[in-house]
Amino acid sequence: MTKTEFWQGNTACAEGALAAGCTFFGGYPITPSTEVAEHMAVKLPKKKGVFVQMEDEIASMAAIIGASWTGARVMTATSGPGFSLMMENIGFAAMTETPCVIVNIQRGGPSTGQPTMAAQGDMLQCRFGSHGDYSVIALCPASVQEMYELTARAFNLADQYRVPVFLMADEIIGHMRERITIPEKIDHLSRRELAAGKLPFQADTDLIPGFATFGKGHGVHVTGLTHDERGYPCTTNPGVHAALVQRLVNKIENARNAIADYDVINPDARQVVIAYGAPVRTVQQVLHDRKGTDIGFLRLRTVWPFPEDALKKFNNARMFFIPELNMGQIAREIERHVKVPVISLPKLGGDLHTPAELIKDLEAHK
Amino acid sequence: MTFEDWFRVDRLPHIYCAGCGNGTVINCTLAAVDEMGWNKKETVFVSGIGCSSRAPGYIMTDSLHTTHGRALAFATGVKLANPALNIVVFTGDGDLAAIGGNHFIHACRRNIDITVVCMNNQIYGMTGGQGSPTTPIGCLSTTTPYGSAEPAFDLCELAIAAGANYVARWTSYHVKEFERAVKAGLETPGFSFIEALVQCPTYFGRRNKFKEVTDQVEYLKTHAILRAKRDRLIEKGERIPDDMFIIGELARRNRPAMGVKL
Amino acid sequence: MKLTIDETRCKGCNLCTKVCPYKIFVEGKKPNLRGIVVPDLDRPERCANCRLQRLYGRTLCGVCQLTCPDQAIHWEDEQPYEPMKVAIEY
Repeated sequence: MTKTEFWQGNTACAEGALAAGCTFFGGYPITPSTEVAEHMAVKLPKKKGVFVQMEDEIASMAAIIGASWTGARVMTATSGPGFSLMMENIGFAAMTETPCVIVNIQRGGPSTGQPTMAAQGDMLQCRFGSHGDYSVIALCPASVQEMYELTARAFNLADQYRVPVFLMADEIIGHMRERITIPEKIDHLSRRELAAGKLPFQADTDLIPGFATFGKGHGVHVTGLTHDERGYPCTTNPGVHAALVQRLVNKIENARNAIADYDVINPDARQVVIAYGAPVRTVQQVLHDRKGTDIGFLRLRTVWPFPEDALKKFNNARMFFIPELNMGQIAREIERHVKVPVISLPKLGGDLHTPAELIKDLEAHK
Repeated sequence: MTFEDWFRVDRLPHIYCAGCGNGTVINCTLAAVDEMGWNKKETVFVSGIGCSSRAPGYIMTDSLHTTHGRALAFATGVKLANPALNIVVFTGDGDLAAIGGNHFIHACRRNIDITVVCMNNQIYGMTGGQGSPTTPIGCLSTTTPYGSAEPAFDLCELAIAAGANYVARWTSYHVKEFERAVKAGLETPGFSFIEALVQCPTYFGRRNKFKEVTDQVEYLKTHAILRAKRDRLIEKGERIPDDMFIIGELARRNRPAMGVKL
Repeated sequence: MKLTIDETRCKGCNLCTKVCPYKIFVEGKKPNLRGIVVPDLDRPERCANCRLQRLYGRTLCGVCQLTCPDQAIHWEDEQPYEPMKVAIEY
């Protein structure tokens, strides 16, 4: 039976993780994500899970990767400065193909910035933040309901693609309280265990190797060094490195349509707004206020890998408007895919675009 | 079964330089693990970055070769998520005391049930011989070309102060004693820290007047003083030379531990 | 049992020459095919492990094997195994 609750975004995120079977949380307090850790600290021990508060975000990320190799579903939650610290081990997780979920309740940056104000300034950092080439999955919730649902989905994606999955929320969504309907049951896609006779990093046709859980006798060597299919370091062979990095990128990029999650509203419109995260709510208000106007709306839940096919649904689009709480990070990505003008509508400082502001911008370009 | 059965034979010989003490430390650690009668399936070796941290790659159990200094944080995650696994961490002086210093003291404080074997060669070997937090004052390295001016860390004192349950120090010359110390560490619930002073003939020895591998081992042998002997000397009021270092079991206690197998 | 040095693994550090209580290992003179001067064995029959491992059913001294950083020192079964003969040899 479904249940209705009145929850904060961060609580919904923690509850979504618990519903998805998360059994290990490693974290470090940071505003505005702390409530996720606090909620997990209360709930996990009662479910025979492990909550551990590590000495810093570097260690939190390290601990969840270690725990993931024992087969657990793992998560950490942080915000901007902590996210920067995690970059080192996020690269390690990408290289070693360790499933893990990282929640980033974004706040104003750079540096310590605005701890209690919203921003979307980490959208490129989550994609490109660690050194070297790799690919990740990032989801952007725009409501408390989605905090729950997308967190649960993040675990499935992480296990399915063996990759760090980011839940890129922001302070507004994290601290907002809203009505939420708890679904009766959520999908659970388990990790594929390494098949007998297969090498631990030998990919299947979907470019994803089976997972060699610690303690099951696979005798796997997991290393952040460039490794061959046996998992042994092989750092000076250009062919091995090229093949490995290409596979790490391709396993995600090839699956972009399967991972993609977006809504298309008014596909015939000439002016199209694209939004993800909190600004979605402004656009929804505008569409609500101006029913029947010529405004299209693409609302993204998956931002990375970028669902470029979604842009092709707007055949009549003459202009794309991207309201973001940053200086146009995703607008730049969209510019790569479309031939018509892309108008970036950045807003810094922590407030959302007001519907009036958005309408003014739309009308200025009519 | 002997310790040799734990090696990934297809990966030998390993990458260590001729005469490197790390190979000796791996032998002794595996001998101790073997004596414990542990199952290969239930044993995990974790390491960070550096010469010492290449060790798990030569061992046929599940092993995790992680980022620089973070081995203890990864090991904490593995152990807490599955306390049935036996965790041994290989680390070096730079890995543990410099970049991983924070993780080290916090792992000691949590007193998590893992055994840490630190191969202290007093230098950064993998990157070509730079000074480390344990390079003794006056010793030469590529980044201390006029002699190290910084006081060195005493890793064992640090571990004791931070709360480790078992702490011991030996050298790569004292193989049997070291093996017994590792075994005692493996048996002790809670955080066990065993430091092995090892020779680095290529980068430390060559710059610090140890012409042969054996010269540096001889130095380790003659400059080590047992804890009991030191205590006796102090009682008699005799002076202990500054270049001597203490070996032996330095702490064994029973603080509450985390992640102990039930 | 017979004491052997695995030439494919030995890197010629001579640590074994330092630790053997019987001084069985002595510095080698000629480099092998890999250019490594592997230590020579001086009357290896004297090794306690060679003589008595069978009798006690376990590795005795074994310091050279533990010390060898390159896992190059082993004791091999001699074929055919003749305990009496080994005893007389020394």
